[in-house]
Amino acid sequence: MSDKTEVAKRQEQTPARRRMAPTVIPSVDIYENDDEILLFADMPGVTKDAIAINLENGRLTIKAPRLLAGEGVLQFEEFGDVEYERVFSVPQGIDTDKVKAIMDNGVLSLHLPKSETVKPRQITVQAG
Amino acid sequence: MSARWNDFDQIFSAMDLLRNRMGMANRLFSDFEPPWGLSSGWSAVSNLPRTNLYDADDHLLLKAAVPGLGKDEINIKIQGNYLEISGSRQEKAPEGYAAHRLERGGETFFSRSLTLPAEIDSSKVEAKLKDGILTLRLPKAKSAKIKRITIS
Repeated sequence: MSDKTEVAKRQEQTPARRRMAPTVIPSVDIYENDDEILLFADMPGVTKDAIAINLENGRLTIKAPRLLAGEGVLQFEEFGDVEYERVFSVPQGIDTDKVKAIMDNGVLSLHLPKSETVKPRQITVQAG
Repeated sequence: MSARWNDFDQIFSAMDLLRNRMGMANRLFSDFEPPWGLSSGWSAVSNLPRTNLYDADDHLLLKAAVPGLGKDEINIKIQGNYLEISGSRQEKAPEGYAAHRLERGGETFFSRSLTLPAEIDSSKVEAKLKDGILTLRLPKAKSAKIKRITIS
């Protein structure tokens, strides 16, 4: 019985005003060779600890907030606080244990190695 | 009254959320961040790093987004209240890879000049590069500083 009243109750005490940083899609380059998929993403101002990379059910999610600390009076602004987010569909056969991410000068490099089973293999025909 | 505002806020934050969700699903509604401030509302010129400028009394603070650039790839020139930042991103595509998607602009060169709102003491300028953001601390020249005059 008690949980029915819970549903109807409004939570006025929770502050509804929350400044949501706009979500922005980072620009990426995606490369592939026989061994891996390599992804570069431009995310200036993002620290390496702030990035969340999630690989689940064939979906790769990159999420990272950028917070800029200014000083004094703003004269003009062309970029601000954002939440970088982008979701990719990743083909099967990625060796999730060996995924490697490097953040360098605001550019994320993400190495997604292919597992042995999906790598192309040359089969030599033997004489019978 | 506060309850009313709460309602408005809730509606707006729901709209924000919806807008963000639509952005995720459909490019048309998204704030896609072009690599170099390409045709982004304010600046019609392409290939320039996005820049913010702040005025903090005795100095100006400039922030420019230069992802992928090393400190040796950026040149800064200052004379009086004229500032020029130029740079080039020397980024080669990794060898032996097939490209699926190229949005970042690859190798680029840019040069951006700004007229600052005050004369700068160029000998005391500090430049830092961190996480793809160039930060310049530009102390104002003596003549440009505000002098407070007390009435005798």
